[in-house]
Amino acid sequence: MSKQMKKIATGLLAGIMTLTLAACGSDNSGKGNAAATDNGGGNSGGSSGKKVTIELAISKSSQDSAFVAQDVLDEFEQKTNIKVNLQLLPAEQTATVLQTKLAVDEVPDLIQYNLASATTDLNLERNFEILDNEPWVSRLLNKDVLSAYDHVYSFHYSQDTGMQGVVYNKDIFKDLGLEIPKNYEEFLAVCEKIKASGITPVFMPFKDNWAANIWPAAAFADWAAKNEPSLFEDINAGRKKWSDVPEFATFLEQQYEVYKKGYTNTDILSDSYDMAVGKFLNKETAMMFMGDWLIVNVAEKDPNVHLGLFAIPSSEDANLGASPLGGQLFIPKKAKHMDEAKKFLEFLATKEVAQKMVDSQGSVSNFSDVTTPKLPEYKQEIVDQYITPKKTTLTTDAYMIVDRSELYRLLQDEFAGGLDAKGVLKAWDEKFSQLMKDKGVEGF
Amino acid sequence: MNVSKRLYSYYLIWPALLIYSIFFVLPALIGLFYSFTDWRLDREAIKFIGWDNFERIFTDRTLLLAMKNTTIFAIVTVLGKNLLGIALAVGLNMKLKSKNLLRAIFYSPSILSVLVISIVFTPMLRSDGTINRIFEAVGLPSLSQAWLTNPALVIWTVAFVSIWQHTGFQMAIYLAGLQSISKEYYEAATIDGAGSWRSFRSITIPLLLPAININLMLTLIGGLKVFSEVFVLTGGGPGNASQVVGTIILRSFGEGSWGLGTAVNTLLFAAVTIIAIPLLIFMRRKEVSE
Repeated sequence: MSKQMKKIATGLLAGIMTLTLAACGSDNSGKGNAAATDNGGGNSGGSSGKKVTIELAISKSSQDSAFVAQDVLDEFEQKTNIKVNLQLLPAEQTATVLQTKLAVDEVPDLIQYNLASATTDLNLERNFEILDNEPWVSRLLNKDVLSAYDHVYSFHYSQDTGMQGVVYNKDIFKDLGLEIPKNYEEFLAVCEKIKASGITPVFMPFKDNWAANIWPAAAFADWAAKNEPSLFEDINAGRKKWSDVPEFATFLEQQYEVYKKGYTNTDILSDSYDMAVGKFLNKETAMMFMGDWLIVNVAEKDPNVHLGLFAIPSSEDANLGASPLGGQLFIPKKAKHMDEAKKFLEFLATKEVAQKMVDSQGSVSNFSDVTTPKLPEYKQEIVDQYITPKKTTLTTDAYMIVDRSELYRLLQDEFAGGLDAKGVLKAWDEKFSQLMKDKGVEGF
Repeated sequence: MNVSKRLYSYYLIWPALLIYSIFFVLPALIGLFYSFTDWRLDREAIKFIGWDNFERIFTDRTLLLAMKNTTIFAIVTVLGKNLLGIALAVGLNMKLKSKNLLRAIFYSPSILSVLVISIVFTPMLRSDGTINRIFEAVGLPSLSQAWLTNPALVIWTVAFVSIWQHTGFQMAIYLAGLQSISKEYYEAATIDGAGSWRSFRSITIPLLLPAININLMLTLIGGLKVFSEVFVLTGGGPGNASQVVGTIILRSFGEGSWGLGTAVNTLLFAAVTIIAIPLLIFMRRKEVSE
């Protein structure tokens, strides 16, 4: 019996140790399954004999994107004899698969990804083509939403992806006779009145630590845009630190104070974003620091809940945060069919095609000659109150070229009682400089 | 038996050895190499940086906390799973009418996915969750805690959930061990006047040592390599409060510090080996044959 046990033990140990190091071998996963193939010289046998297939890599979760609607692709193929082949990537591994493809030079000709994450995950400057000189750029209304490092790196027909601020229930505001707060004191007063009516003023789902970043990402960027426009440039060059701006600590304290004063759900670190829609549907909560996507999610379930969005009231008359997130198109520098990929963007940017996409998605056009269709009520308000009067500011996500998840954890830690506002910024300074050093950025 | 016939049996291990080398030894060696580099997305820019990654591991506060948490988790779960496992096994080895049902009940959590466990436990462990409600109902509201969101408590809570889930598996191994102990030993001991505690100490424990060894090894290695429980229950949070070495590896890869992630992994492998092998040798010396 004892010998048998020993054998079993040895076998089990060997198995376990194999598993211990299995992670080491995962670096090349995806290397072999890269679907990009060079069909450039392939003769289709058709009349022109010049049919080219370009590869567009896109996350499975974005496959209903207007860029890749079948009729758009068919029309493009008819006009140009260029076929667009979609490489659908598993949603949870999109970043890893693309990183690997770029690392081993198995690059697709086009990638749909979001700009802010591309700067951190995919090394934007190194891997992607600058599109400043493309013919459609001169027609752009808002270049910023497609730009990083002062260059246009990506393509999109709309400029309204992801506005961030305070999502609020208009009906509750109306019932209680409340106005949209214009500064922090007014915001606290609004919270107090909502609380007195028995409704939770603010829902904080900080189990998802990224949600704790909505307030600071808009507040920091708004302050910098108005007071020190070169701040993020200086931070990214190592000339300044996050903790050098005392106002940043104030903004973090503000968000914490909203919780401390009892204006939120009690178990903020146990509650997650996926509970938010239900909280708004049941009128359990009146506000949340979030993006306009939440409004879309709630409207899908019940179009009779009237939600709106206003700017994070961190300082007097703040601008609305514009998230750089969203699915833009990028062309890798090592694309095998650079010209054809650019032609595809030109095609999407034509007045007719862009108009069709804007109409079908109900989004705000980014081209001067493409008309924005009738928008949903909340969106029209955002356009009128913030986008048209140019009262939006790109959130800090647009400027941070490193992985931000440690910042989110530090923000969460403020609410767990581990760090105060200054401690958060100090710890983020350390981590930020380490991550920048890892990336080989000069000045760190 | 002549030499060639004796060697014949060794040829059979070649296919296994080949697969083992390709999928274990080679990646391990490549991993060891990368742990001394600043490996990241720019393949061309990769540099040899000596011990820098390892130095960083021992100076980074979060990494040190992760190591402390991993140690706590390993010790707590080794003790919990084995003490409870033996107790359950001894209990269910007795002549009970419902012993088969009870065995099935105690074993069942270990076949559940850790995701299911997380879905069940997360609401129970909330500050207004079932566990705190029970404490309040029995008049012990002072025991109510923020089980998963209190930084000082969270790793202990995760360890408790892991014990709850896996003790049944340990129990099964102990039961197998117990059932292979011949009844004659106990009969002889009873004749010699030994009580049940004496029988347990002088017969059960020594003859159960092979099972104890396996379970110690399994729970210790499992404890040091903990990942899934922490990942699904807390994601390493709140903040970094429940980070363990396993989640730090994931974090490093996510941040693009692949060299650092590999170094942490190499270190984990070394730690598991350094702790497990001497313990295995030591424990095997203690074993007795029937």
